[in-house]
Amino acid sequence: MRIGDAKQNYEADEAILSTSTQKIWFAFFLLVLLLFPFMVGSYLMYLGCLVGIAVISTTGLNILTGFTGLISLGQAGFMGVGGYTVAWLSMNTGLPFPVTLLLAGLLAAAIGILVGLPSLRVKGLYLAIATLAASVFLHFIFAEWESVTGGMGGLSLEPAHLFGLTFQTDFAMYFIIVPLAVLMVIGAKNVFRTRIGRAFIAIRDRDISAEILGINLLHYKLMSFALSSFYAGVAGGLFAYFFRVVTPESFPLSMSIFYLAAVIVGGMGNLLGGVLGAAFMTLIPEALKLLTAALTPFYPNAPIFMSPMLEIIFGALIVGFLIFEPHGLAEIWHRIRRFFSLWPFKN
Amino acid sequence: MFKRMLSKGRRLVGIGSMAAALVAAVPAMAQDKEPIVFGGSIPLSGVFAFAGVHIHAGLTDYTTWINSQGGINGHPVEYVMEDTGYEVDRSVAAFKKISGSNNVSVYYGDSTGFMKTIASELNSRGTTLMSGASFATALTDNEQYPYQFIPGPNYTQMFGIILEYIATQGKDGDMPTVAFVYSDTEFGKDPIENGKVKAAEMGIEVVEEIVTKPGSVDVSAEILKLRRVRPDFVVFHGYVLSPINEFMVQMRQMGLDTQFMGTFWSSDKLIVNKMGADADGYMGVMPYNYYDSAEGGPMLDALRAVAEKSDPDAGYRPTGYMQGWFNAMVWTEVIKRTIDAGKELTAENMAESLASIEDWDTGGIIGIPVSVQDMSFPVGRIWRVNAKEARYEPVSDWIHLD
Repeated sequence: MRIGDAKQNYEADEAILSTSTQKIWFAFFLLVLLLFPFMVGSYLMYLGCLVGIAVISTTGLNILTGFTGLISLGQAGFMGVGGYTVAWLSMNTGLPFPVTLLLAGLLAAAIGILVGLPSLRVKGLYLAIATLAASVFLHFIFAEWESVTGGMGGLSLEPAHLFGLTFQTDFAMYFIIVPLAVLMVIGAKNVFRTRIGRAFIAIRDRDISAEILGINLLHYKLMSFALSSFYAGVAGGLFAYFFRVVTPESFPLSMSIFYLAAVIVGGMGNLLGGVLGAAFMTLIPEALKLLTAALTPFYPNAPIFMSPMLEIIFGALIVGFLIFEPHGLAEIWHRIRRFFSLWPFKN
Repeated sequence: MFKRMLSKGRRLVGIGSMAAALVAAVPAMAQDKEPIVFGGSIPLSGVFAFAGVHIHAGLTDYTTWINSQGGINGHPVEYVMEDTGYEVDRSVAAFKKISGSNNVSVYYGDSTGFMKTIASELNSRGTTLMSGASFATALTDNEQYPYQFIPGPNYTQMFGIILEYIATQGKDGDMPTVAFVYSDTEFGKDPIENGKVKAAEMGIEVVEEIVTKPGSVDVSAEILKLRRVRPDFVVFHGYVLSPINEFMVQMRQMGLDTQFMGTFWSSDKLIVNKMGADADGYMGVMPYNYYDSAEGGPMLDALRAVAEKSDPDAGYRPTGYMQGWFNAMVWTEVIKRTIDAGKELTAENMAESLASIEDWDTGGIIGIPVSVQDMSFPVGRIWRVNAKEARYEPVSDWIHLD
């Protein structure tokens, strides 16, 4: 039985996985992720890929909103930048997917810096409106810059490719999306073990105090916007490769709200929360459909009555979280962990 | 209220049992054969639910009816659907789920976005033919979407039919003038460029073009523009109701005698129910006979009988119902032709069967025999609202575009 984890140096204190139990569970989790596509059908594989994309985008938004305290309603717009960049590059240059995804992330980051400029003067709701305006502006560009974006009809693109390999199926895309999601979450975790991450948190907790402590607000706020937009750009690029079509309607405002809700439901300022929130928000509508499926044999018109009900249940779940568990799914997870950490010796 | 819901619930259970009994009544031979699956991503919730529930009812009732007729060449038909909330990712999820557990021959797609997104998978699977709620012109590109078709005229063809009608309405040898008012969406912009070309070819002047947000309410500035050019006709596209009602009411208040027209999704009873007497004279292009039209025919009569039986209290069945039914009719015809030709039910063979449809009698759903051209049925008729009767009445013959 584990009775404690004495840390004898700073490295151990800073380690992401500090105990052997954590390492074993993490290795097991990676093994499950690896074996998942071999064990499930196309439907669950598709959902796995969707969750992967959502995890990347939610993690990006969590960096900005959860850790730096800057509310953004522009996440869908940044994803759109990534999606269109990948679509345009793959159609016009034939570059392999690692390059297109990187460029998608970098372009989104550059635009994120521009959008983040108002954050130096405004915050809270005002910043939300500023980012919303940016999102509308980006949407306008997607719809109207026909020579590049294909206008309202959008762009269709070829499958992702690398070294002659083509990633055409969901099975193949899973092996791009999920490893990238894992890497990017680990990357974000590492950011918060550095001065940069701590500066973000200091800004969130009290920006004036952070400035007095020597943190350059301009520099770090824009860096947070850039990082968050980079994640969104990569997620948008993956979205484009996954669906193989991007239109202005692929990145609606409701998508930004979806990711913001995922951050809140998962737990703001907690990377695990972002992951859990993304999975929850993506999977719950599908899980609720099982309820309809269970009722249909007894009540043939169940789909008609249950479908709108499911939207209400989904909304009620989110509101329920806000009221009863404001720290989100991450806090529930931590409680479960605490319970089992001393189990069966805990009262 | 609960009592009413409960009583409706009991009635629906009754209807369900009746449907089950009907399915059970399919001749024994049909039960021995492998079922043919109609799949569907259906928007029972979300912004398109107003049509989705009726599309679902049309597909369900058709399935009941075809099974009561012995299925398709003795194969019973199963209709398997999932709600999508009118969201592309959920529509794709529904497609994967349904296709993963059923051998789906034909599938109903709920939006242009979904049908474009799923195209590459549909092409690589090669097992399923798809049609749905979309009349998008882009989907008739046979190179990119070889296994998708439009269950009527596409939006460009709808504009073509409208312009053919407008061309007959000139006075003293002058061609009428027209203005296009459309929404700032893929749906709204779909037929505009082709519509302008067609109008120019026919000598109809497009005197104004107005783009609005779908569902806009304040359109006074746009109406002033129209007042300046005084078009004989305004053609709306990319809306369901608003801002059509705003344009009509305000322009009439200004004393303009402009006539107003719309395409499929804005040509249902919603406009009559919401606008009342103000809807009088509004015209729409419709490829199918309305449920309450004076027209008849063996299939239209069967549709009315099944609809009446499945939900006696429903009354009028909207155009979404007719569209769902017609989709399933085309699927049946295509599958029947493919089986009769001794071919496997692959997407390619079914697409070939679809293309072979010529002078097909739809039993009154469409008033004239129809042929498939470029994966669509380029036929329709202009109907005008008679507000007093609260219904649409035909004002043109059936127009078949070449």
